[in-house]
Amino acid sequence: MSSPKTVQRLFRILSMLPWVIANPGSTVREVVERFDYSSPKQLAADLDLVFVCGLPGYGPGELMVAYIDDDEVVVELADYFSRPIRLTPPEALQLIGAGRAVLSSGAAPEALERAVQKLEHMLFSDVDQVLTVDLSEPPLLQELRSAVERKGVVTITYTALGTGDTTVRDIEPWQLRSTLGNWYLTAWCHRADAERVFRLDRIQRVVDTDGVAEAVRRVDSIAIGYTPNAGETIATLRLGERARWVSQYYPVDVVSDDEGDTVVRLSAYDPNVAAKLLIRLGSHAELLDGERVAVAYEELQRQILSRYPEAVE
Amino acid sequence: MQKVVERILNLLAFLLTTDRPVTADEVRHTVAGYDRDNDEAFRRMFERDKDLLRTLGIPLTTKATDAWEVETGYVVPNDEYGLLDPELNDEERVALLLARQAVLMGGAAEAFEPLLKLGGLPALASPEPFAATLDLDDESITRVFEATTERLVIAFGYRGVARRVAPYGLVHRRGNWYVVGSEEGQTEVKAFRIDRVETEIAVTATSFVRPDGIRVSDAIPGAPWEAGGEDIHAIVLFDPELAWWAARRISDRTATEPTDDGGLRATIPVRNVDAFFAWMIDFGDKAVIEGPAELRARFIDRVRGVS
Repeated sequence: MSSPKTVQRLFRILSMLPWVIANPGSTVREVVERFDYSSPKQLAADLDLVFVCGLPGYGPGELMVAYIDDDEVVVELADYFSRPIRLTPPEALQLIGAGRAVLSSGAAPEALERAVQKLEHMLFSDVDQVLTVDLSEPPLLQELRSAVERKGVVTITYTALGTGDTTVRDIEPWQLRSTLGNWYLTAWCHRADAERVFRLDRIQRVVDTDGVAEAVRRVDSIAIGYTPNAGETIATLRLGERARWVSQYYPVDVVSDDEGDTVVRLSAYDPNVAAKLLIRLGSHAELLDGERVAVAYEELQRQILSRYPEAVE
Repeated sequence: MQKVVERILNLLAFLLTTDRPVTADEVRHTVAGYDRDNDEAFRRMFERDKDLLRTLGIPLTTKATDAWEVETGYVVPNDEYGLLDPELNDEERVALLLARQAVLMGGAAEAFEPLLKLGGLPALASPEPFAATLDLDDESITRVFEATTERLVIAFGYRGVARRVAPYGLVHRRGNWYVVGSEEGQTEVKAFRIDRVETEIAVTATSFVRPDGIRVSDAIPGAPWEAGGEDIHAIVLFDPELAWWAARRISDRTATEPTDDGGLRATIPVRNVDAFFAWMIDFGDKAVIEGPAELRARFIDRVRGVS
């Protein structure tokens, strides 16, 4: 196998040459910046290398010409490299998928809409839209997005997913994320005086305030609390055949995966969330370990069944 | 590394300018850098370089060198090698890169590399204020995408049946990927959830014609519980406290009626009972399934953990 460095270097050369051929008179600075070279020296090394390659015969008429003239990048006799390599299907999927995802959030720049359309047109000239990404923009997304952008403080009415408790609190919205089919808002919460993640569909109301965000924004990992972190409450579940999807759908730790049964560990930062999953899986899952989850499970079971008199023996 | 890069550039230049299949032997004696005395050393070097070309996304195929098909040679078809210019401007390239950075795709490749092919990038603007996870990790999604663009029928098992489907499009909705298409010999357009496919997805050699006027997203259900094999109309009473949340999640296929105390009574079309129950559990004691009796009994069994 060739090293990733070799692949990267070839990739860049075969992308840079077409650009320079199409844009005669490009300056060293432009090319360095555009193709992410660390220095003009690195670009010069690539051009030197191109200079000794070409077609069989390998004489003056057959080798490519590539050099820096004053401040200008010159490439000649390299017409066969005048087009960049086609996008592979995974590359096209990544670009169009990402583009469509951001577009479906609303309020994306017009340039993105044009870019995605051009790419789609290039790949499948006769079809209007092969790939659809629908992140089903929830209500209030626009209000919260604008609060993130103007670094404002908003008052939200929020019903916690685990406990069902409704509270009103001032928050400084940091970032919106869509993952596993739901939208989440990371924010600094004045009430908790800590960073909190809110599920968007559980925010009932958003009211703007005159406040200005003061906490230092921290925006890092995209993963939403299912992966166990050290020191967190953890529940261990045995999943039957029909509940095995849990181990693929959620980023959990798979402890063992025998015939028929899978044992996984998941973070239960809020035991109520794990309790809901457990009830949902019914007889297809079993809680092996996790005392707080067991308590929450029984409590939730009791609550739901209280609405069904015939279930109480 | 220098030598490898030179050799590959020479090989590629030769293949792109020769419009006939080129044998390995010809490469060895014509292209600079391949001249090896030892057969085995040449063979290993050439194999490695072919892999490298494919890693770069270069279409390298084999063909018989003449009508008698005694020898095969290598071809890089010129029309398949190059990118058709999508004519992006820098503003559009930046918008694409920002979108690509905002979306987490699992273990997918570097965000920047495909953009290099599209003409690199000038200095960057500030990032998108939101992020998304698309889970493109699954290799079958890429395979379906490829079959969709190349108009090839795919074969896979779904709900216990082996199927051959003409894929019209790929849809991501609410955290799930679906392939939308028609089974061979049928006209109905259906959606198949990719994570529920039971076998490897195979791309066949059979091509298909995409009918006009297909809108792939129309085939996807409005709510998770609307896709499935069952056909039940659930009557649910939502308490005033969470009625607003219920109203947001139900689709326009659901009939609703406000109750006197500010709650909501809804008649919900349910085709997937598991998905429906999962949603009901989220309400805790703030909702109740009023009917039909059979569905209500199944729900109780589920909550008790006996089904």
